[in-house]
Amino acid sequence: MRLELGNIFIKNVKFGESTKIEDSILHINKEELLAAVGGDEHIKSIDVELAHPGEEIRITPVKDVIEPRVKVEGPGGIFPGMLSKVDTVGTGRTHALKNIAVVTAGKIVGFQEGIIDMTGPGAEYTPFSKLHNIVVVAEPADGIKQHEHEAAVRTIGLKAAQFLGEFAKNIEPDEVKYYETEPLLESVAKYPDLPKVGYVYMLQTQGLLHDTYVYGVDAKKIVPTLLYPTETMDGAIVSGNCVSACDKNPTYVHQNNSIIEDLYEKHGKEINFVGVIITNENVYLADKERSSNWTAKLTRYLGLDGVIVSQEGFGNPDTDLIMNCKKIENEGIKTVIVTDEYAGRDGASQSLADADAKADAVVTNGNANEVIVLPPMKKIIGSTEYVDVIAGGFDGSLRTDGSIEVEIQAITGATNETGFVKLSSKGY
Amino acid sequence: MKSIIITNNPKVLKNYEDKYKVIFLEGSYLEVLTTTRDLVHKGHELLTHPLSGSIKPNETPYKSIMISQNKEKLNMESLMIIEDSIVTATKFINIKKTPSWPEKVLEDFKEIDYTLITSGMDSIEG
Repeated sequence: MRLELGNIFIKNVKFGESTKIEDSILHINKEELLAAVGGDEHIKSIDVELAHPGEEIRITPVKDVIEPRVKVEGPGGIFPGMLSKVDTVGTGRTHALKNIAVVTAGKIVGFQEGIIDMTGPGAEYTPFSKLHNIVVVAEPADGIKQHEHEAAVRTIGLKAAQFLGEFAKNIEPDEVKYYETEPLLESVAKYPDLPKVGYVYMLQTQGLLHDTYVYGVDAKKIVPTLLYPTETMDGAIVSGNCVSACDKNPTYVHQNNSIIEDLYEKHGKEINFVGVIITNENVYLADKERSSNWTAKLTRYLGLDGVIVSQEGFGNPDTDLIMNCKKIENEGIKTVIVTDEYAGRDGASQSLADADAKADAVVTNGNANEVIVLPPMKKIIGSTEYVDVIAGGFDGSLRTDGSIEVEIQAITGATNETGFVKLSSKGY
Repeated sequence: MKSIIITNNPKVLKNYEDKYKVIFLEGSYLEVLTTTRDLVHKGHELLTHPLSGSIKPNETPYKSIMISQNKEKLNMESLMIIEDSIVTATKFINIKKTPSWPEKVLEDFKEIDYTLITSGMDSIEG
Protein backbone atom coordinates (compact mmCIF):
# COMPACT_ATOMS: atom_id res chain seq x y z
CA MET A 1 0.00 0.00 0.00
CA ARG A 2 1.51 3.31 -1.13
CA LEU A 3 0.36 6.79 -0.26
CA GLU A 4 1.61 10.09 -1.62
CA LEU A 5 0.99 12.79 0.94
CA GLY A 6 1.02 16.26 -0.58
CA ASN A 7 1.66 18.88 2.09
CA ILE A 8 0.41 22.39 1.44
CA PHE A 9 1.91 24.86 3.88
CA ILE A 10 -0.60 27.53 4.84
CA LYS A 11 0.89 30.85 6.01
CA ASN A 12 -2.28 32.46 7.30
CA VAL A 13 -6.03 32.01 7.66
CA LYS A 14 -8.49 34.87 7.15
CA PHE A 15 -12.22 35.30 6.87
CA GLY A 16 -13.16 36.55 3.40
CA GLU A 17 -15.74 36.83 0.65
CA SER A 18 -15.19 33.33 -0.66
CA THR A 19 -13.48 30.19 0.56
CA LYS A 20 -10.23 29.61 -1.34
CA ILE A 21 -6.51 29.07 -1.01
CA GLU A 22 -4.44 31.78 -2.65
CA ASP A 23 -0.72 32.48 -2.21
CA SER A 24 -0.59 30.02 0.70
CA ILE A 25 -3.36 31.88 2.52
CA LEU A 26 -6.62 30.14 3.38
CA HIS A 27 -9.60 32.47 3.03
CA ILE A 28 -12.78 31.24 4.65
CA ASN A 29 -16.28 32.46 3.93
CA LYS A 30 -17.77 31.93 7.37
CA GLU A 31 -21.32 31.45 6.05
CA GLU A 32 -20.18 28.74 3.64
CA LEU A 33 -18.35 26.93 6.41
CA LEU A 34 -21.31 27.20 8.78
CA ALA A 35 -23.64 25.91 6.05
CA ALA A 36 -21.33 22.92 5.46
CA VAL A 37 -21.24 21.88 9.11
CA GLY A 38 -24.69 22.92 10.31
CA GLY A 39 -28.05 21.22 10.31
CA ASP A 40 -27.75 18.95 13.34
CA GLU A 41 -30.96 19.04 15.36
CA HIS A 42 -28.97 18.62 18.56
CA ILE A 43 -27.14 21.89 18.05
CA LYS A 44 -28.72 25.30 18.68
CA SER A 45 -26.00 27.51 17.23
CA ILE A 46 -22.48 27.29 15.83
CA ASP A 47 -19.87 30.00 15.66
CA VAL A 48 -16.40 30.01 14.14
CA GLU A 49 -13.46 32.07 15.36
CA LEU A 50 -9.81 32.21 14.36
CA ALA A 51 -6.84 31.94 16.71
CA HIS A 52 -3.35 32.56 15.37
CA PRO A 53 0.04 31.72 16.91
CA GLY A 54 1.24 34.50 19.21
CA GLU A 55 -2.19 36.02 19.80
CA GLU A 56 -3.34 36.51 23.38
CA ILE A 57 -6.07 33.92 23.08
CA ARG A 58 -7.01 31.00 25.33
CA ILE A 59 -9.15 28.26 23.77
CA THR A 60 -10.93 26.09 26.36
CA PRO A 61 -12.43 23.55 26.86
CA VAL A 62 -10.98 21.93 23.73
CA LYS A 63 -12.70 18.77 22.52
CA ASP A 64 -10.83 17.77 19.35
CA VAL A 65 -8.17 19.05 16.96
CA ILE A 66 -8.39 17.95 13.33
CA GLU A 67 -6.20 18.53 10.25
CA PRO A 68 -8.04 19.31 7.01
CA ARG A 69 -7.18 16.72 4.37
CA VAL A 70 -8.62 15.56 1.07
CA LYS A 71 -8.33 12.40 -0.98
CA VAL A 72 -7.04 13.34 -4.44
CA GLU A 73 -6.49 9.91 -5.98
CA GLY A 74 -7.21 6.38 -4.90
CA PRO A 75 -10.16 4.66 -3.28
CA GLY A 76 -12.31 6.11 -0.54
CA GLY A 77 -12.50 9.46 1.14
CA ILE A 78 -11.30 11.16 4.30
CA PHE A 79 -12.69 9.81 7.61
CA PRO A 80 -14.02 6.52 6.21
CA GLY A 81 -17.00 5.14 8.08
CA MET A 82 -17.64 8.54 9.63
CA LEU A 83 -18.11 10.92 6.68
CA SER A 84 -17.02 8.78 3.72
CA LYS A 85 -17.96 5.23 2.75
CA VAL A 86 -16.01 2.37 4.24
CA ASP A 87 -13.62 1.81 1.31
CA THR A 88 -10.14 0.90 2.52
CA VAL A 89 -8.07 4.09 2.47
CA GLY A 90 -4.33 4.67 2.55
CA THR A 91 -3.42 4.36 -1.14
CA GLY A 92 -3.15 6.90 -3.94
CA ARG A 93 -2.74 10.54 -3.09
CA THR A 94 -3.92 12.73 -0.24
CA HIS A 95 -3.42 16.45 0.29
CA ALA A 96 -3.02 17.92 3.76
CA LEU A 97 -3.32 21.55 4.80
CA LYS A 98 -0.37 22.01 7.15
CA ASN A 99 0.02 24.67 9.87
CA ILE A 100 -3.73 24.86 10.40
CA ALA A 101 -6.34 22.89 12.33
CA VAL A 102 -10.01 22.77 13.09
CA VAL A 103 -10.48 22.92 16.85
CA THR A 104 -13.83 22.05 18.42
CA ALA A 105 -14.44 23.81 21.73
CA GLY A 106 -17.22 24.28 24.24
CA LYS A 107 -18.29 22.25 27.22
CA ILE A 108 -20.12 18.96 26.82
CA VAL A 109 -19.97 18.10 30.50
CA GLY A 110 -19.35 20.52 33.34
CA PHE A 111 -15.85 19.37 34.16
CA GLN A 112 -14.50 19.22 30.64
CA GLU A 113 -10.87 20.13 30.29
CA GLY A 114 -8.39 21.06 27.59
CA ILE A 115 -6.60 24.39 27.24
CA ILE A 116 -4.73 25.75 24.21
CA ASP A 117 -2.99 29.07 24.90
CA MET A 118 -1.79 30.72 21.71
CA THR A 119 1.03 32.59 23.50
CA GLY A 120 2.86 32.62 26.84
CA PRO A 121 4.21 29.74 28.91
CA GLY A 122 1.17 27.51 28.30
CA ALA A 123 1.72 27.72 24.54
CA GLU A 124 5.10 26.08 25.02
CA TYR A 125 3.40 22.91 26.25
CA THR A 126 1.00 22.33 23.37
CA PRO A 127 1.97 21.73 19.73
CA PHE A 128 -1.40 23.16 18.70
CA SER A 129 -0.40 26.71 19.73
CA LYS A 130 1.80 26.80 16.62
CA LEU A 131 -1.13 26.32 14.26
CA HIS A 132 -3.62 28.77 12.78
CA ASN A 133 -6.70 27.38 14.48
CA ILE A 134 -10.21 27.54 13.08
CA VAL A 135 -12.20 27.17 16.29
CA VAL A 136 -15.73 25.86 16.05
CA VAL A 137 -17.90 26.49 19.11
CA ALA A 138 -21.24 24.66 19.05
CA GLU A 139 -24.01 25.37 21.55
CA PRO A 140 -26.25 22.38 22.28
CA ALA A 141 -30.02 22.41 21.92
CA ASP A 142 -31.86 22.39 25.24
CA GLY A 143 -32.29 19.05 26.95
CA ILE A 144 -30.00 16.91 24.75
CA LYS A 145 -28.08 14.03 26.30
CA GLN A 146 -24.32 14.18 26.69
CA HIS A 147 -23.70 11.36 24.18
CA GLU A 148 -25.83 13.10 21.52
CA HIS A 149 -23.95 16.33 22.16
CA GLU A 150 -20.56 14.61 21.90
CA ALA A 151 -21.50 12.85 18.66
CA ALA A 152 -22.84 16.08 17.16
CA VAL A 153 -19.72 18.12 17.99
CA ARG A 154 -17.45 15.28 16.83
CA THR A 155 -19.21 15.22 13.44
CA ILE A 156 -19.22 19.02 13.11
CA GLY A 157 -15.43 19.06 13.62
CA LEU A 158 -14.87 16.33 11.03
CA LYS A 159 -17.17 18.05 8.54
CA ALA A 160 -15.36 21.37 8.98
CA ALA A 161 -12.01 19.66 8.32
CA GLN A 162 -13.47 17.85 5.29
CA PHE A 163 -14.99 21.07 3.92
CA LEU A 164 -11.70 22.99 4.20
CA GLY A 165 -9.68 20.02 2.94
CA GLU A 166 -11.67 20.01 -0.33
CA PHE A 167 -10.08 23.35 -1.28
CA ALA A 168 -6.67 21.65 -1.27
CA LYS A 169 -7.67 19.19 -3.97
CA ASN A 170 -6.41 21.17 -6.96
CA ILE A 171 -3.51 22.95 -5.31
CA GLU A 172 0.05 21.93 -6.17
CA PRO A 173 1.60 20.76 -2.87
CA ASP A 174 4.74 22.44 -1.52
CA GLU A 175 6.13 19.03 -0.64
CA VAL A 176 5.19 15.44 -1.48
CA LYS A 177 6.11 12.59 0.85
CA TYR A 178 5.83 8.92 -0.04
CA TYR A 179 4.91 6.20 2.40
CA GLU A 180 4.85 2.58 1.37
CA THR A 181 4.19 -0.67 3.18
CA GLU A 182 4.27 -3.88 1.20
CA PRO A 183 2.31 -7.02 2.06
CA LEU A 184 4.19 -8.86 4.80
CA LEU A 185 5.85 -11.63 2.78
CA GLU A 186 7.01 -9.22 0.08
CA SER A 187 8.34 -6.84 2.69
CA VAL A 188 10.28 -9.58 4.47
CA ALA A 189 11.70 -10.79 1.13
CA LYS A 190 12.73 -7.26 0.21
CA TYR A 191 14.55 -6.53 3.48
CA PRO A 192 15.78 -9.94 4.67
CA ASP A 193 18.50 -8.47 6.88
CA LEU A 194 16.50 -5.78 8.65
CA PRO A 195 14.75 -6.34 11.97
CA LYS A 196 10.96 -6.50 11.61
CA VAL A 197 9.30 -3.85 13.74
CA GLY A 198 5.60 -3.33 14.44
CA TYR A 199 3.63 -0.67 16.24
CA VAL A 200 0.95 -1.57 18.78
CA TYR A 201 -1.40 1.42 18.80
CA MET A 202 -3.60 1.49 21.91
CA LEU A 203 -6.90 3.36 21.59
CA GLN A 204 -8.97 4.73 24.47
CA THR A 205 -12.33 2.93 24.41
CA GLN A 206 -14.37 2.94 27.59
CA GLY A 207 -17.65 4.69 27.07
CA LEU A 208 -19.07 8.19 26.98
CA LEU A 209 -16.34 10.77 26.23
CA HIS A 210 -13.74 7.97 26.23
CA ASP A 211 -14.23 6.47 22.77
CA THR A 212 -12.31 6.08 19.52
CA TYR A 213 -13.65 5.04 16.13
CA VAL A 214 -11.94 2.98 13.43
CA TYR A 215 -13.66 3.15 10.04
CA GLY A 216 -16.72 4.24 12.02
CA VAL A 217 -16.63 1.24 14.35
CA ASP A 218 -16.60 1.91 18.08
CA ALA A 219 -13.18 0.45 18.88
CA LYS A 220 -14.25 -1.00 22.24
CA LYS A 221 -16.05 -3.62 20.16
CA ILE A 222 -13.08 -4.72 18.07
CA VAL A 223 -10.50 -7.39 18.70
CA PRO A 224 -6.96 -6.27 17.87
CA THR A 225 -6.37 -6.12 14.14
CA LEU A 226 -3.93 -4.92 11.52
CA LEU A 227 -3.82 -1.62 9.67
CA TYR A 228 -1.46 -0.43 7.00
CA PRO A 229 0.16 2.64 8.58
CA THR A 230 -1.03 4.87 5.72
CA GLU A 231 -4.68 4.18 6.57
CA THR A 232 -4.28 6.40 9.65
CA MET A 233 -3.15 9.28 7.41
CA ASP A 234 -6.52 9.26 5.64
CA GLY A 235 -8.46 9.52 8.90
CA ALA A 236 -9.23 5.84 9.51
CA ILE A 237 -8.99 6.53 13.25
CA VAL A 238 -11.10 9.32 14.74
CA SER A 239 -11.21 10.58 18.31
CA GLY A 240 -14.38 10.74 20.38
CA ASN A 241 -12.27 11.09 23.49
CA CYS A 242 -12.79 14.24 25.52
CA VAL A 243 -11.16 13.28 28.81
CA SER A 244 -7.55 13.59 29.98
CA ALA A 245 -6.57 16.51 27.75
CA CYS A 246 -2.82 16.11 28.11
CA ASP A 247 -2.57 12.48 27.03
CA LYS A 248 -5.56 11.73 24.83
CA ASN A 249 -5.01 11.47 21.10
CA PRO A 250 -6.94 14.13 19.21
CA THR A 251 -7.84 13.18 15.63
CA TYR A 252 -4.92 15.40 14.50
CA VAL A 253 -2.52 13.04 16.30
CA HIS A 254 -4.13 9.99 14.68
CA GLN A 255 -3.62 11.66 11.28
CA ASN A 256 -0.03 12.70 12.10
CA ASN A 257 1.11 9.91 14.43
CA SER A 258 4.76 10.66 15.09
CA ILE A 259 5.67 7.06 15.94
CA ILE A 260 4.41 6.02 12.49
CA GLU A 261 6.27 8.94 10.87
CA ASP A 262 9.51 8.04 12.64
CA LEU A 263 9.22 4.32 11.89
CA TYR A 264 8.70 5.16 8.20
CA GLU A 265 11.79 7.39 8.38
CA LYS A 266 13.88 4.36 9.35
CA HIS A 267 11.97 1.88 7.15
CA GLY A 268 14.16 0.09 4.63
CA LYS A 269 17.29 1.57 6.21
CA GLU A 270 17.59 0.47 9.84
CA ILE A 271 14.36 -1.48 10.26
CA ASN A 272 11.55 -3.10 8.32
CA PHE A 273 8.39 -1.37 9.58
CA VAL A 274 5.80 -4.01 8.75
CA GLY A 275 2.61 -2.50 10.13
CA VAL A 276 0.28 -1.31 12.85
CA ILE A 277 -1.71 -3.43 15.28
CA ILE A 278 -4.58 -1.45 16.75
CA THR A 279 -5.96 -2.50 20.11
CA ASN A 280 -8.35 -1.09 22.69
CA GLU A 281 -8.46 -0.10 26.37
CA ASN A 282 -11.70 -1.43 27.81
CA VAL A 283 -13.30 -1.33 31.26
CA TYR A 284 -13.78 -5.06 31.71
CA LEU A 285 -10.65 -6.91 32.78
CA ALA A 286 -11.45 -9.94 30.59
CA ASP A 287 -11.46 -7.58 27.58
CA LYS A 288 -8.03 -6.33 28.61
CA GLU A 289 -6.81 -9.91 28.90
CA ARG A 290 -8.29 -10.91 25.52
CA SER A 291 -7.00 -7.85 23.68
CA SER A 292 -3.48 -8.14 25.09
CA ASN A 293 -3.47 -11.88 24.30
CA TRP A 294 -4.40 -11.02 20.73
CA THR A 295 -1.81 -8.27 20.31
CA ALA A 296 0.86 -10.68 21.56
CA LYS A 297 -0.48 -13.39 19.25
CA LEU A 298 -0.40 -11.06 16.24
CA THR A 299 3.15 -9.81 16.97
CA ARG A 300 4.36 -13.41 17.04
CA TYR A 301 2.35 -14.36 13.95
CA LEU A 302 3.94 -11.46 12.06
CA GLY A 303 7.38 -12.67 13.15
CA LEU A 304 8.30 -9.34 14.67
CA ASP A 305 11.67 -8.70 16.25
CA GLY A 306 10.69 -5.48 17.97
CA VAL A 307 7.53 -3.67 18.98
CA ILE A 308 6.70 -0.14 20.08
CA VAL A 309 3.54 0.22 22.17
CA SER A 310 1.87 3.59 22.76
CA GLN A 311 -0.78 4.27 25.38
CA GLU A 312 -3.68 6.70 25.48
CA GLY A 313 -5.09 8.21 28.66
CA PHE A 314 -4.57 7.74 32.36
CA GLY A 315 -5.08 5.06 35.00
CA ASN A 316 -6.58 1.79 33.85
CA PRO A 317 -4.85 1.91 30.41
CA ASP A 318 -1.64 1.50 32.42
CA THR A 319 -2.86 -2.06 33.00
CA ASP A 320 -3.46 -2.61 29.26
CA LEU A 321 -0.01 -1.17 28.55
CA ILE A 322 1.73 -3.46 31.01
CA MET A 323 -0.29 -6.51 29.87
CA ASN A 324 0.67 -5.78 26.25
CA CYS A 325 4.32 -5.27 27.15
CA LYS A 326 4.60 -8.36 29.34
CA LYS A 327 2.87 -10.69 26.92
CA ILE A 328 4.77 -9.45 23.85
CA GLU A 329 8.06 -9.73 25.75
CA ASN A 330 7.04 -13.28 26.72
CA GLU A 331 6.90 -14.06 22.99
CA GLY A 332 10.60 -13.18 22.90
CA ILE A 333 10.04 -9.85 21.16
CA LYS A 334 11.83 -6.72 22.33
CA THR A 335 9.25 -4.18 23.44
CA VAL A 336 9.42 -0.44 24.12
CA ILE A 337 6.48 1.30 25.77
CA VAL A 338 5.61 4.96 25.30
CA THR A 339 3.62 6.60 28.08
CA ASP A 340 3.45 9.62 30.40
CA GLU A 341 3.60 9.97 34.16
CA TYR A 342 1.46 11.09 37.07
CA ALA A 343 4.34 11.17 39.51
CA GLY A 344 3.06 13.82 41.94
CA ARG A 345 3.98 17.47 41.91
CA ASP A 346 7.60 16.76 42.78
CA GLY A 347 7.84 13.92 40.27
CA ALA A 348 8.95 11.47 42.96
CA SER A 349 5.89 9.20 43.26
CA GLN A 350 5.26 6.00 41.30
CA SER A 351 4.42 7.11 37.75
CA LEU A 352 2.03 4.44 36.55
CA ALA A 353 -0.84 2.53 38.14
CA ASP A 354 0.73 -0.77 37.06
CA ALA A 355 4.25 -2.10 36.55
CA ASP A 356 6.23 -5.16 35.56
CA ALA A 357 9.91 -6.07 35.41
CA LYS A 358 9.50 -6.81 31.68
CA ALA A 359 8.75 -3.12 31.09
CA ASP A 360 12.44 -2.28 31.03
CA ALA A 361 12.39 0.05 28.03
CA VAL A 362 10.10 3.01 28.64
CA VAL A 363 9.83 6.40 26.96
CA THR A 364 8.03 9.06 29.01
CA ASN A 365 6.40 12.16 27.64
CA GLY A 366 6.41 14.15 30.86
CA ASN A 367 4.89 14.41 34.33
CA ALA A 368 1.26 15.51 34.02
CA ASN A 369 1.15 16.60 37.69
CA GLU A 370 3.68 19.38 37.06
CA VAL A 371 2.18 22.78 37.99
CA ILE A 372 2.17 25.83 35.74
CA VAL A 373 0.73 29.35 36.01
CA LEU A 374 -0.99 30.48 32.83
CA PRO A 375 -1.17 34.29 32.65
CA PRO A 376 -4.44 36.04 31.73
CA MET A 377 -5.27 36.29 28.03
CA LYS A 378 -7.07 39.13 26.29
CA LYS A 379 -9.59 36.82 24.70
CA ILE A 380 -11.19 33.54 25.72
CA ILE A 381 -12.76 31.31 23.08
CA GLY A 382 -15.11 28.92 24.89
CA SER A 383 -15.34 29.34 28.64
CA THR A 384 -13.13 29.32 31.76
CA GLU A 385 -16.20 28.88 33.96
CA TYR A 386 -15.07 25.47 35.18
CA VAL A 387 -11.29 25.89 35.34
CA ASP A 388 -11.37 25.52 39.14
CA VAL A 389 -12.74 22.06 38.77
CA ILE A 390 -11.13 20.52 35.70
CA ALA A 391 -8.50 17.82 36.05
CA GLY A 392 -5.34 19.45 37.25
CA GLY A 393 -7.19 22.52 38.47
CA PHE A 394 -8.10 23.13 42.10
CA ASP A 395 -10.00 25.58 44.28
CA GLY A 396 -8.60 28.99 43.49
CA SER A 397 -7.05 27.85 40.19
CA LEU A 398 -8.78 30.66 38.33
CA ARG A 399 -7.51 33.87 39.90
CA THR A 400 -9.29 37.22 39.84
CA ASP A 401 -6.86 38.63 37.25
CA GLY A 402 -7.76 35.77 34.87
CA SER A 403 -4.54 33.81 35.36
CA ILE A 404 -4.82 30.10 36.03
CA GLU A 405 -2.67 27.84 38.19
CA VAL A 406 -3.05 24.28 36.97
CA GLU A 407 -1.24 21.03 36.46
CA ILE A 408 -0.09 20.59 32.87
CA GLN A 409 -2.61 17.74 32.51
CA ALA A 410 -5.16 20.49 31.75
CA ILE A 411 -3.26 21.50 28.59
CA THR A 412 -4.28 19.78 25.35
CA GLY A 413 -1.52 17.48 24.15
CA ALA A 414 1.01 18.43 26.86
CA THR A 415 2.14 14.85 27.57
CA ASN A 416 0.77 13.01 24.53
CA GLU A 417 1.77 9.38 24.63
CA THR A 418 2.66 9.06 20.96
CA GLY A 419 5.42 11.61 21.48
CA PHE A 420 3.53 14.36 19.66
CA VAL A 421 4.67 16.82 22.31
CA LYS A 422 6.80 19.85 23.04
CA LEU A 423 8.49 18.16 25.99
CA SER A 424 11.43 15.84 25.47
CA SER A 425 12.90 12.91 27.36
CA LYS A 426 16.56 12.66 28.28
CA GLY A 427 18.47 9.54 29.26
CA TYR A 428 20.99 9.84 32.10
CA MET B 1 -20.82 -14.50 34.96
CA LYS B 2 -22.93 -13.49 37.97
CA SER B 3 -21.58 -10.32 39.42
CA ILE B 4 -21.84 -7.78 42.21
CA ILE B 5 -21.61 -4.02 41.71
CA ILE B 6 -19.97 -1.93 44.40
CA THR B 7 -20.89 1.72 43.87
CA ASN B 8 -21.50 5.10 45.47
CA ASN B 9 -23.35 6.32 42.37
CA PRO B 10 -27.13 6.57 42.91
CA LYS B 11 -27.73 6.35 39.15
CA VAL B 12 -26.03 2.94 38.98
CA LEU B 13 -28.06 1.74 41.98
CA LYS B 14 -31.31 2.93 40.44
CA ASN B 15 -30.67 1.35 37.04
CA TYR B 16 -29.17 -1.95 38.12
CA GLU B 17 -30.56 -2.90 41.53
CA ASP B 18 -33.22 -5.11 39.92
CA LYS B 19 -30.70 -6.95 37.78
CA TYR B 20 -27.57 -7.23 39.91
CA LYS B 21 -26.63 -7.46 43.54
CA VAL B 22 -25.57 -3.88 44.30
CA ILE B 23 -23.55 -2.89 47.35
CA PHE B 24 -24.35 0.82 47.66
CA LEU B 25 -22.04 2.94 49.79
CA GLU B 26 -22.85 6.43 51.01
CA GLY B 27 -19.12 7.01 50.93
CA SER B 28 -16.20 8.36 48.91
CA TYR B 29 -14.46 7.12 45.76
CA LEU B 30 -11.71 5.72 47.96
CA GLU B 31 -14.20 3.87 50.17
CA VAL B 32 -15.53 2.09 47.08
CA LEU B 33 -11.97 0.99 46.34
CA THR B 34 -11.18 -0.17 49.88
CA THR B 35 -14.51 -2.03 50.17
CA THR B 36 -13.67 -3.76 46.90
CA ARG B 37 -10.21 -4.67 48.20
CA ASP B 38 -11.74 -6.27 51.29
CA LEU B 39 -14.03 -8.37 49.11
CA VAL B 40 -11.13 -9.38 46.86
CA HIS B 41 -9.39 -10.64 49.99
CA LYS B 42 -12.48 -12.75 50.68
CA GLY B 43 -12.06 -14.43 47.29
CA HIS B 44 -14.16 -12.37 44.88
CA GLU B 45 -12.58 -11.69 41.49
CA LEU B 46 -12.27 -8.18 40.09
CA LEU B 47 -14.20 -7.92 36.80
CA THR B 48 -13.80 -4.25 35.88
CA HIS B 49 -10.75 -2.07 36.31
CA PRO B 50 -11.11 0.09 39.44
CA LEU B 51 -9.66 3.13 37.65
CA SER B 52 -12.00 2.84 34.66
CA GLY B 53 -12.08 6.06 32.68
CA SER B 54 -9.40 8.69 32.40
CA ILE B 55 -11.24 10.97 34.84
CA LYS B 56 -8.93 11.50 37.77
CA PRO B 57 -9.68 9.98 41.22
CA ASN B 58 -9.67 13.46 42.79
CA GLU B 59 -11.96 14.79 40.07
CA THR B 60 -15.02 12.53 40.08
CA PRO B 61 -16.67 11.59 43.39
CA TYR B 62 -18.36 8.52 41.86
CA LYS B 63 -16.99 5.05 41.28
CA SER B 64 -18.59 1.74 40.36
CA ILE B 65 -16.73 -1.56 40.25
CA MET B 66 -17.92 -5.06 39.31
CA ILE B 67 -16.68 -8.18 41.06
CA SER B 68 -17.68 -11.85 40.76
CA GLN B 69 -20.46 -13.16 42.94
CA ASN B 70 -18.58 -16.45 43.26
CA LYS B 71 -15.83 -16.68 45.82
CA GLU B 72 -12.77 -18.77 45.18
CA LYS B 73 -9.28 -18.64 46.59
CA LEU B 74 -7.63 -15.21 46.61
CA ASN B 75 -7.03 -13.95 43.07
CA MET B 76 -3.58 -12.36 43.20
CA GLU B 77 -4.01 -10.43 39.97
CA SER B 78 -7.21 -8.87 41.27
CA LEU B 79 -5.43 -7.97 44.49
CA MET B 80 -2.48 -6.38 42.70
CA ILE B 81 -4.77 -4.29 40.50
CA ILE B 82 -6.97 -3.04 43.35
CA GLU B 83 -3.96 -2.28 45.57
CA ASP B 84 -2.19 -0.36 42.77
CA SER B 85 -5.45 1.50 42.12
CA ILE B 86 -5.72 2.51 45.79
CA VAL B 87 -2.11 3.77 45.71
CA THR B 88 -2.84 5.82 42.58
CA ALA B 89 -6.15 7.22 43.89
CA THR B 90 -4.58 8.15 47.23
CA LYS B 91 -1.72 9.91 45.43
CA PHE B 92 -4.21 12.12 43.57
CA ILE B 93 -6.43 12.81 46.59
CA ASN B 94 -3.37 13.81 48.62
CA ILE B 95 -2.41 16.33 45.92
CA LYS B 96 -5.84 17.94 46.16
CA LYS B 97 -9.20 16.93 47.50
CA THR B 98 -12.15 16.33 45.20
CA PRO B 99 -13.91 19.71 44.85
CA SER B 100 -17.46 20.48 46.02
CA TRP B 101 -19.26 20.32 42.73
CA PRO B 102 -22.41 22.08 41.64
CA GLU B 103 -25.36 19.70 41.19
CA LYS B 104 -25.25 19.86 37.39
CA VAL B 105 -21.62 18.72 37.29
CA LEU B 106 -22.40 15.92 39.76
CA GLU B 107 -25.07 14.73 37.34
CA ASP B 108 -22.47 14.62 34.53
CA PHE B 109 -20.12 12.56 36.69
CA LYS B 110 -22.93 10.15 37.58
CA GLU B 111 -23.73 9.73 33.89
CA ILE B 112 -20.08 9.07 32.93
CA ASP B 113 -19.56 6.53 35.71
CA TYR B 114 -22.84 4.87 34.73
CA THR B 115 -21.84 4.58 31.04
CA LEU B 116 -18.38 3.23 31.94
CA ILE B 117 -19.80 0.43 34.10
CA THR B 118 -22.47 -0.22 31.46
CA SER B 119 -19.73 -0.69 28.84
CA GLY B 120 -18.28 -3.33 31.21
CA MET B 121 -21.64 -5.09 31.35
CA ASP B 122 -22.00 -5.07 27.59
CA SER B 123 -18.74 -7.02 27.49
CA ILE B 124 -19.93 -9.55 30.05
CA GLU B 125 -23.24 -10.13 28.37
CA GLY B 126 -21.79 -9.97 24.87
